[in-house]
Amino acid sequence: MNAVEIGLAAQGVLALLAVVLAVRTDGARRNVLAGTACAALAGAGAFTGALAVAGHEGSLTLRTALPLSPLSLAPDRLGGVFLLVAGLVGVVASVYAIGYAHGAAASRSQWAALALFLLGMQMVPAAADVMTFLLGWELMAAASTVLVLAEQAHRAPAREAALWYAVMTHLSLVALLAGFAVLAAQTDGTGFAALAAVDPSSPEASLAFGLLALGFGAKAGVVPLHVWLPRAHPEAPSHASALMSAAMVKMGVYGLLLVTLRLLPGGPTWWAIVLVLLGATSALYGILQASVASDLKRLLAYSTSENIGLMVLALGLAVLLRGEGLAGPASVALLACLLLVVSHAAFKTTLFLGAGAVLHATGERDLDRLGGLIRTMPWTGAAFAVAAMGAASLPVTGGFVAEWALLQALIHGGRPEDRLVAATIPLALAVVALTAGLALLTFAKAFGIAFLARPRSVGAASAHEVPRTMRAAMVAGAVGVVVIGFAPGPIAAVLATSAGLRGVDAFGLGGLRLAGVGAVLDPAALTLLGVLVTLPALVAVLVLARRRPTVPDVDAWGCGGLRTSPRMQYTATSYAEPLMRIFDDVLQPARDVEVTHVAESRYLAERVQYRQAVDDVIEVRAYAGLIRSANRLADRARGIQNGSIHRYLAFSFAALVLVLVVVAR
Amino acid sequence: MSGPLRTAGHLLVVLFQVAVMVGLAPIVAGITRQARARLEGRAGAGVLQPWRDVRKLLGKRPVHAAGASLVTRAAPMVLLASGLTVAALVPLVAARPLPLVPDDLFVVVSVLLVGTVALALLGLDVGSAFGGMGSSRHMMIAAIVEPTVLMAVYALSIPVGSSTLSLIVADRRSDPTSIGSPAGVLAVVALVVVILAETGRLPVDNPSTHLELTMVHEAMILETSGRDLAWVELGSWLRLAALLGLVGNLVLPWGVATDLSVGAVLLGVVAIVAKIALLAGLLGAVEVAMAKLRLFRVPELLAGSFVLAFLAVTASYLVA
Amino acid sequence: MTLTTLAEQLLALSTGALLVTTALFVWRRSLRAATRLLALQGVALAVLVVTIAITERALELVLVAAMVLALKGVVIPVVLRRAVRVGGSGRENAPRLNPTAGLVTVALLTTVAYLVSRPLTVATGGQGGSEAGPGAFAVPIGMTMVLVGFLLLVTRRRAMSQLVGFLVLDNGIATVGFLTAAGVPFVVELGVSLDVLLVALILAVLSGRMGTLFGSADVADLTELRD
Repeated sequence: MNAVEIGLAAQGVLALLAVVLAVRTDGARRNVLAGTACAALAGAGAFTGALAVAGHEGSLTLRTALPLSPLSLAPDRLGGVFLLVAGLVGVVASVYAIGYAHGAAASRSQWAALALFLLGMQMVPAAADVMTFLLGWELMAAASTVLVLAEQAHRAPAREAALWYAVMTHLSLVALLAGFAVLAAQTDGTGFAALAAVDPSSPEASLAFGLLALGFGAKAGVVPLHVWLPRAHPEAPSHASALMSAAMVKMGVYGLLLVTLRLLPGGPTWWAIVLVLLGATSALYGILQASVASDLKRLLAYSTSENIGLMVLALGLAVLLRGEGLAGPASVALLACLLLVVSHAAFKTTLFLGAGAVLHATGERDLDRLGGLIRTMPWTGAAFAVAAMGAASLPVTGGFVAEWALLQALIHGGRPEDRLVAATIPLALAVVALTAGLALLTFAKAFGIAFLARPRSVGAASAHEVPRTMRAAMVAGAVGVVVIGFAPGPIAAVLATSAGLRGVDAFGLGGLRLAGVGAVLDPAALTLLGVLVTLPALVAVLVLARRRPTVPDVDAWGCGGLRTSPRMQYTATSYAEPLMRIFDDVLQPARDVEVTHVAESRYLAERVQYRQAVDDVIEVRAYAGLIRSANRLADRARGIQNGSIHRYLAFSFAALVLVLVVVAR
Repeated sequence: MSGPLRTAGHLLVVLFQVAVMVGLAPIVAGITRQARARLEGRAGAGVLQPWRDVRKLLGKRPVHAAGASLVTRAAPMVLLASGLTVAALVPLVAARPLPLVPDDLFVVVSVLLVGTVALALLGLDVGSAFGGMGSSRHMMIAAIVEPTVLMAVYALSIPVGSSTLSLIVADRRSDPTSIGSPAGVLAVVALVVVILAETGRLPVDNPSTHLELTMVHEAMILETSGRDLAWVELGSWLRLAALLGLVGNLVLPWGVATDLSVGAVLLGVVAIVAKIALLAGLLGAVEVAMAKLRLFRVPELLAGSFVLAFLAVTASYLVA
Repeated sequence: MTLTTLAEQLLALSTGALLVTTALFVWRRSLRAATRLLALQGVALAVLVVTIAITERALELVLVAAMVLALKGVVIPVVLRRAVRVGGSGRENAPRLNPTAGLVTVALLTTVAYLVSRPLTVATGGQGGSEAGPGAFAVPIGMTMVLVGFLLLVTRRRAMSQLVGFLVLDNGIATVGFLTAAGVPFVVELGVSLDVLLVALILAVLSGRMGTLFGSADVADLTELRD
C-alpha cells in the first residue's frame, strides 16, 4: 500500500471517526473533537491531493455488495489539484467551525453532515469511474443540503433555500446520470479510461456533452442555473458556505474539465462557443447582481457565480483556441482557468469566513447596518481586506495573477482563420474587462461599507473580535491569497504539469513566465520596485511624523457637517445607486416611494419612505413559469392519491399484472 | 557590460525617470491651470504654484477626524506609491522593458487601480456623506472605464503581438504609418477619453470645483489635510503626468531613448518634458471650451469611447 | 511613396472615416450634427471611389467620385440642413434605445457584419488579404453601415432622423457595391443616386409638412391607415 492509498483509506477512517465523535460527544467538547477530526479528514485529503499532483499514483478499489462494478478511487494529477484545493479549504473551514459553530449549527447532525460533506467532496476528484464519482457527488449533495438546513428552526428562508438547493442539485444529478449513461452505452465499462474511447464527433457525444454540461453547470452555479446559489450560501452556517462556495462549486468546474479534457477532447467548435457564452453570461450577470446586493453573504454568493463564469469562459477559450491550432494561447487560457480555481478558493474562503465573523460579532449580515468594524475587529478586517483585494484582482494577490493570465490568453488569441473564433475573442475580452471593473466596485463597497466609516446599527457598534480559532482560519486564508499573489511561478508550474501544459515556468523572484505567449509577470519584483521608488516618501513620512505628529480625534469636516448622524452616511445601497441607474434595464429593481405630507400643506413632506428590492430577473422570468407548471402537474397527480387503501392495493395489483404480462412476452 | 551591471544601470535610468516625473508632475498641473487662466483672461498663479502648495502642505500637520482608521493614514501613501510605480513602469524617458518587470500595460492598469481603490476607501473612512458620495461615483466611473481601457490595450497590442508598452512605442516609431492608421488613431482616442475619466478631468469631473453636487475627486479628499493632502495631490498629478507622457509617446514616439547611453537618456528627458508640457497646455486649453457632463451622461461618453476601441480592434482585424 | 501605397493609405483612411462616422450617428442625437456627419461620410465615400479609380486605373470612376461628392457630400446634406432649420428643434429627444445601449449594439452589429460578410469577400476572390482586389477586405465596413442604418431607422422617432438612417443605409450599400464590383456601372449608379435624392427631397418636404400640421414629426403618431 503506497502513500496515496494510505491517504485515501485514511479519509474513510477519519470520516467515520468524525461522525462518531460528532454523535457521541456533547457541548463544547463536540466542537473541539469533531472539528479536529474534520480538519484531519480534510488534511488527509489535501495530503493525498498533494501526492497525486506530485505524480504519485495509487488506487483503492472497494468491492460492494451491490451488483455493480467495484468502486475505484485513483486520483490523477488534475483530480489531485481539486483534491488539494478541497482539502485545504476543508482544513481552514473545520478549524474555523470549532470556534464558530454554536446553537443549531453545533448539533450532532450538523457536525456529522460536515464530515460526510468533506468525504463526499474529496471522493469526487479522486474517483476513477462513473459510479464512484456519482456516489461521492450524491454524498456531497445530500450532506450539504443538511448543512443548509441548519437554521431552519428559526428562519423560514432557510427551508426555502434548502428546497431550491435540493431540487437543483438533484436535477444536476439526473442530468449527469443521463449524460454518463449515454457515454457508457457507447463503450463497455464505466471507468473514465473506458469512456474516453467515445468518438467526440459523434452525435451521441454531443448529447452527452449537453447533459453533462447541464449537470456540472447547475452544480457550479453557472447562470441561468445559479438560482440556488444566492439562496443557499447566505442560509448555511458560514463555514459551510465557505466550503460550498470555495470548494464544492469547483467540482462542477472539475467535471467540465474532466469532460472536455479527459473524456471527450477535441469535440466540435460549438461546444467551446457554448462554454464561452455560458461563462460570459455568468460572469457579467453574477457580478452585476453582486455589485448591487447589500446582504454580504448574498453578495459573495453572486460573486462566486461570477468567478465560476470566468473559469468556464477560460476553459471554453482554451478548447476553442486548441481547436484552432493555437496551442500557446490555449494552454495559457487553461492555466488561467486553474489559477482562477486556486485563487478563488483562497479568497472566497476568507471572505465567507470573514462574513461569518461579522455575523458572529454583530448579528448583522446586511451591509446597510454595518460599519466601522475595522476598529473593533482588526484581524477580521485585515483578512477580509486582503481577500477582497484578491476578489477585485488587484496586485499583489492571487486574483490578479489569474486575471492577468486570462487577459494574456485573450490578447494573444491571434487572428484565427475562423471568423466566429476571431469575433468571440474581443467580445470575451470586453466581458472580462467589465466584470473586472464591476468586481472592483463590488469589493471596495463590501470592505469599505462594512469595515470603514461609522457603525450604522447598535449591533455593529457593539462588535467584538472573534475567538482565536476563527482568527487563525481567516489569517490562513488571507496568507494563501498573498502567497499565490507573490509566488505565482512555482504554483502555476505545478498546475501546468498537472494539466499537461507546456510553456509555463517559474522565473525571477517567484515570477511566472508564459513562453507560449511571451509574457512575464513577477509580482515580487514589481512590489520591490514599488517600494524602492516610494522609499524617499516613506522616509519623509517617518521623519515628518516624528517632528510634526498628526492631530487626532477632531470633528470631521464634511463641508461643515458637525452634527451628522451615522444614518446620513452612504450605505451599500446608495453606494451602488449610480450603477443601478446605469444597468436599470438589466437589473429591473422594484422601487417604491411613499411620501406622507404634513397636514397643513401639500408642499411639505413629513416623511418619505423609500423601498427598493432587486429580485433575480432570471429567477423571476425563467423559473416562475416552470414552478407554476410543476405545481399544476403535481396538483393533477394528487388526484391519483385519495388516501383509500383499496386504491393503493389496486395500483399494486395492476402493476403486478402488467409486469407478468410484459415478462411473459 | 555584464548582466547584473546592465540591470543596475537600467534601474538607475528608471529611478531617474521617476525623479524627473516627480519634479514635472506638479508643473503639469500648473501648466493646465495657467493655460486655462490665460485663456479666461486671468493672470494665473504661475506654473510653479502647485509646487509651492505641496511644499506648504508638507509642512503642516494632518488633522484626523475622530474614528479615522489606519486607512486614513495609509491611503495617501498607497496612492502616491501607485503613482510612482506607474511613473517607473511607463516608457517615458526610455523605451526598454526591465527584464523582471516589463511595462506590461495590464500591470500598469492594475497598479493604477490600486491607487483608485485607495482613494475610494479614503473617501469612505471617516463616514461623511460627501466622502461616500465621491467614493461611490469614483468607483462607478472606474468600473465602466475598465472595458474601454482593456479594449484600447488590446487594439494597441494587436500590431505588436504584445501588451508591453515599450515594444508598442518602439514599433510605432519604426513604422510611423501605424500611427496614422485608423486602428491606431481610434485606439489612442479611446485611451485619451479614459485617461481623462480616470484622472478626474473635464468633461467627467471638474478638477477645480468645490460645488458639492458635481464633485467626485474633491469629495473624497475633503477630510484629508496637511502632508496627507500633499501626498494625495502629488500622487494624482503623477498619474496624470505619466499617462499624458504615455499618450505623448504613443502619438509622437520620437526622442525616446532606446539604448541606455547618457546622451540618449538626456535626449529622452528633454523630449518627454516637451511632449508632456505640450499636452498639458493643450489639455488646459481644451478644458476651457468644455462643460462638465452630467454624471449620468458619463456612461454615454465611456460607451462611445468603448465603441471606438472596439472598432479599433475590428479595424485591425480587417485592415493590416 | 508609390501610387499603390498612397491608395492603401487612402483606403484605410476613408474606410476608417466611414466606420467612425457611422458610430457617431448613434452617439449624437442632434440632427444638425447628423447632417454634418452625412457630409463627412459623403466625402469619405468619394475618396473611397477615387482610391478604387487609382488602383483600377479606371478613369470613368473619377467621374462617379465627383458625382458622389456633389450629391452625397453637398446636395443632400444641404437639403437636410435646410429642412432641419425649417423644422425647428434639431434634437432627437427620446430615441427608443438610449445612446449607451445603442453604442453597445453598434459594437455587436460590427461583429455581426464581420461574421456574415465572409461569403462576399470570398466571392470577390479574396480570403481577407489586401491583394484581393481593391479592399474587398473592407466589405464588413459597408455591411456595418447597412446594419447601423437599419438600427437608426428602427430606433429613431423623428422623420428626419429616420431619413438620416435611410441615407446611412444607402451609403452602406454604395460602399459594398464599390468595393465588391469595383464600381457599379456608371448609369446604374446615376439612377440609384437620383432615386435617393428624390427620396431625400420628398421626406424632407414631408417632415416639414408634418411639423407644421402636428407640431412634431414623431413617426409614432402616424398609425392610422387611410385610402
